[in-house]
Amino acid sequence: MRALLRWVRADLRAHRGQAALMVLVTAVIAVSLILANALLRDAANPWQRIFLQSRGAHVWIHVRSGADTAPLTRLDGVTGVAGPYSTASADLVRGAEKVSLELRAAGPQLPSVARPLVRSGRWLDPARSDGIVLESSLARAMRADVGGTVTVRARDGATRTMRVLGVADSADQGSYPDWTPGLGWVLPTALDRVEPDPAHIQQAIGLRLRDPGSADFTAQQAVTTLGSGQVTQVTTWQQVRSAMGQDNRLLGLLLGVFGLVALVAAALATAGAAGGRVLAQVRDIAMLKTVGFTPAQVVRLFLYEHTALALAGMALGAGAASLFGPLLPGALGEAMGVWQAEPARAGALAATGAGVVLSIALATALPAWRAGRIPAAPTVRADRPASGISRLARLALLLKLPPALALGSRAAFHRPLRAGLTVARLAIPIMMITVALGSWATLDGFQDHPRQLGLAASLTARPSGIDDAAARRLLTEQPAVAAAYPGAEIPALVPGETTTITLRALGTADHPYPFALAAGHLIRDEDEAVAGQGALNLMHAKVGEWVRVTAGGTPHILHIVGRDIEPDHNGEMLSVDLGALAGPGGTPKAQYYALVLRPGANPTAVRTDLLAASHGRLDVRPVANPAAQLGLVRVVVVGLVGVLTLIGLAELVTATASGLRDHVRDLGVLRAMGLTPRQVTAIIVTSTALLTTAAVLAGTGLGVLLSNRLINMEGQASGVGAGIARMPAPETLLMAGAVAVAVAACVSVVPATRATRARITAALSANRT
Amino acid sequence: MSRSGPDTARVAATPDADHVLPPAEAMLWAQDLVKTHRGAETATHAVRHVDLRVDRGEFVAIMGPSGAGKSTLLHLLGGLDRPDSGRIWLDGQRVDGLSEARWSLLRRRTVGIVFQFFNLVTNMTAADNVELPALLAGMSPRQARARREELFAELDLEDRARSTPAALSGGEQQRVALARALVNEPGLLLADEPTGNLDSRNTRDVLRLLARYHASGQTILLVTHDARVASGADRVISLFDGEIADDTALHAPADGPTTVADVLRLKG
Ligand SMILES: Nc1ncnc2c1ncn2[C@@H]1O[C@H](COP(=O)(O)OP(=O)(O)OP(=O)(O)O)[C@@H](O)[C@H]1O
Ligand SMILES: [Mg+2]
Repeated sequence: MRALLRWVRADLRAHRGQAALMVLVTAVIAVSLILANALLRDAANPWQRIFLQSRGAHVWIHVRSGADTAPLTRLDGVTGVAGPYSTASADLVRGAEKVSLELRAAGPQLPSVARPLVRSGRWLDPARSDGIVLESSLARAMRADVGGTVTVRARDGATRTMRVLGVADSADQGSYPDWTPGLGWVLPTALDRVEPDPAHIQQAIGLRLRDPGSADFTAQQAVTTLGSGQVTQVTTWQQVRSAMGQDNRLLGLLLGVFGLVALVAAALATAGAAGGRVLAQVRDIAMLKTVGFTPAQVVRLFLYEHTALALAGMALGAGAASLFGPLLPGALGEAMGVWQAEPARAGALAATGAGVVLSIALATALPAWRAGRIPAAPTVRADRPASGISRLARLALLLKLPPALALGSRAAFHRPLRAGLTVARLAIPIMMITVALGSWATLDGFQDHPRQLGLAASLTARPSGIDDAAARRLLTEQPAVAAAYPGAEIPALVPGETTTITLRALGTADHPYPFALAAGHLIRDEDEAVAGQGALNLMHAKVGEWVRVTAGGTPHILHIVGRDIEPDHNGEMLSVDLGALAGPGGTPKAQYYALVLRPGANPTAVRTDLLAASHGRLDVRPVANPAAQLGLVRVVVVGLVGVLTLIGLAELVTATASGLRDHVRDLGVLRAMGLTPRQVTAIIVTSTALLTTAAVLAGTGLGVLLSNRLINMEGQASGVGAGIARMPAPETLLMAGAVAVAVAACVSVVPATRATRARITAALSANRT
Repeated sequence: MSRSGPDTARVAATPDADHVLPPAEAMLWAQDLVKTHRGAETATHAVRHVDLRVDRGEFVAIMGPSGAGKSTLLHLLGGLDRPDSGRIWLDGQRVDGLSEARWSLLRRRTVGIVFQFFNLVTNMTAADNVELPALLAGMSPRQARARREELFAELDLEDRARSTPAALSGGEQQRVALARALVNEPGLLLADEPTGNLDSRNTRDVLRLLARYHASGQTILLVTHDARVASGADRVISLFDGEIADDTALHAPADGPTTVADVLRLKG
């Protein structure tokens, strides 16, 4: 052990630069993994951040006016109380839109528990009694900006114009429109003006608990304490969290792919570096064995050394991320701040660390094993002269190619095994880059061809206050609307399952909705249905089977004729045509219309037109496109491509160096034979370029296959369903490949010229034993 | 593979060759060693049916033209390479069947090896190069250091302890290598042309050291094709085309200890 340490110490000292680089690479990978983890966690779960920052309440209870809430504060496990606040319900009207709103009376001082987080503007101000602060998802949906005005319509129909003082995040309730009514804060005086009748004023009280897990129990206790007649509504943090989750399994999907890629990248970098070191130290390793190191000890030398470096890098990365992460600007810093406060952080950190260190140790295992196999006799024998020339070189000669190309291809491939290994090592980062490009293309697919990815309709219109015929007329009169499909959604129970799926009736038999089908065919009959992958998973059903679901008390026996791509609701959607929901009373009423627009139409403009045309009696909303929230993922993809490019470069340098090591003697001979230095350089550059070309071909091919597989696999697991993967455009791949080859050629020029400049005699004696 | 030579015939005739016991005074005993290097098309019979015995305290030189198989033989004897067939006893122990790891353990204490080139781990200082095998053999760092300092003082290397091999001259490198090979006081020192790339002055220094250790009872097997170097040995074995062609005693074994003076006289 002492001897091992002595060697490791000496080796690290001798390769300070390289060791520092390895530590740095590991640290960078650790930091990016931690950041990615924090970012994606944050994106996938915005509730966490808001709840932490606002010291949110775990349970919210709404009680009738006059109820005594004091006993609640004395409940076991309650560590803090928000409110009670007086609340009143009203409508928020802006232009033609109207949404229901809970107005909450709050003082000018921000509370310490469940404190609204003012994102823009400011908090309520006694000097502005007409001021209102809107919850941010509501403000976004209403397009209400700080400084603008909104109209609040009271229960009695009286309207009042209020000024938006600020927009705030809150973990008191889920985000609008998943959670209604929306939330707005006003001064108590303003509340009294809107709702003068105390009988219609409720109290909202938030309880912060010592043990978040006991929220359900505490909620029950509260209801028992107050009497169920007094309580109008109880919500727990779990409900809020799930209503705030962006329903975005796609993010998780990409996280999975990228986590994998980053780990493989880390392992690759290490394997490359360790492999290069073993090659460069063959003689020393032989010497160690001569002196009495056993093969196992030699293996351990390399394993220990690289694991130690990985640990150091991991510690450095984790330290840097923890210290400086929260100081980063923008979303990154915020996400890191939340991440630090998260109780699960230690576990995530440990898992990340263990993953990185383990993969690096694993990556070192092969080179270390090879080191263990190096024979003890230190006679590194001169390479045996190449037996003939390779087939490729012969072809090159046959085609009368210039000597550089002929000899370059010989240099590249005359040892097929070595060449194969080099190609494989270069091909792996290229493959990963192709996967990253595939993810990018998939995102582009969502944005540019939403129709093929289950997002045919870009707007939904919900009639409110007009009859079906009128609504239909309004929609057909709108020139930009290509088709309006009547739809309705009801929860349906799957037999034997406690969960529900959404039964969606959309389109009619003679006018079927264009589902994006990945398998099977469209609905042609009333007992036919198409299902998303998530629904199929839940029902344990396959396309072609019959299923039985109960919706609204009525059992439906449906034949699943196709699987469609469902980017929403985890794919837990079973779609039928509207006729299928028909009861004895004839065709059911459409709850909404899914609007497919003409190509090139701008949804926002169409929405404005429809709102104006219907005088607000059509509630028109854009259909959320998951790709819109994936800007972050694009950043990650770009970063990833950058890291992979660096790794590819490192591999290239290793490949060139080992290629030169193989050929120094040949090069000397070539020069002695009378080739000019420039020709010799050309030979080396050609050989590198040829190897890279082979790697690009192999890497891109495998990458395309792998990226389709991976994305579809993740799609399947996330309920979206296979069939979303898009290939990078051929031009993109072609260009990436060309760039790779060009870079490879450039990178090899430097060592090549250096090698050719070396004296012939030095080159000739370099491999003497 | 023709079996030639009276020695091999004798061994092959022994009824139960596997139960032969080595003579007690033999430090190294090899019987019927065969090694063929197989290339893609060619097979080189580097060592053919060699029998060899080196007694304790003996200084044996192996000579022969280039390609005769001298290095190959030495590697077989040091466990750096495996014989195709044949038996080897080292210090009374049968070793030809040992695993690579067992050989490594054996080399730590029993066999010290010096090569012509590349004797030192390039990353480590001269001091570390010598202390490493000592630590491997289980000495404490302090003991290893003391032993190394002792050797360096003897070899006149005290001021080079902190240098890396690259900063040492050829002669210094070989002296450090000798210190490295001797640090665990091995029963057998194997040296493969330790003076091959040294000038005459450095050659003399190294030989003087070898002679001194021999005088104090060290068993040495040395490969060389320099007749002057070989003339310091008790016995010279000529290897030709993988076979022992000649085995000549230069001095009566009783004269052993006096060889130091002889060498010096010869070299002087
Ligand atoms: N690893 C090997 N692979 C193939 N052939 C080998 C190998 N090692 C040695 N040989 C061949 O075996 C024969 C003996 O080689 P060896 O190195 O033992 O000779 P030597 O007597 O030490 O020569 P020199 O005096 O030049 O060092 C030579 O013909 C050599 O080419
Ligand atoms: Mg030799």
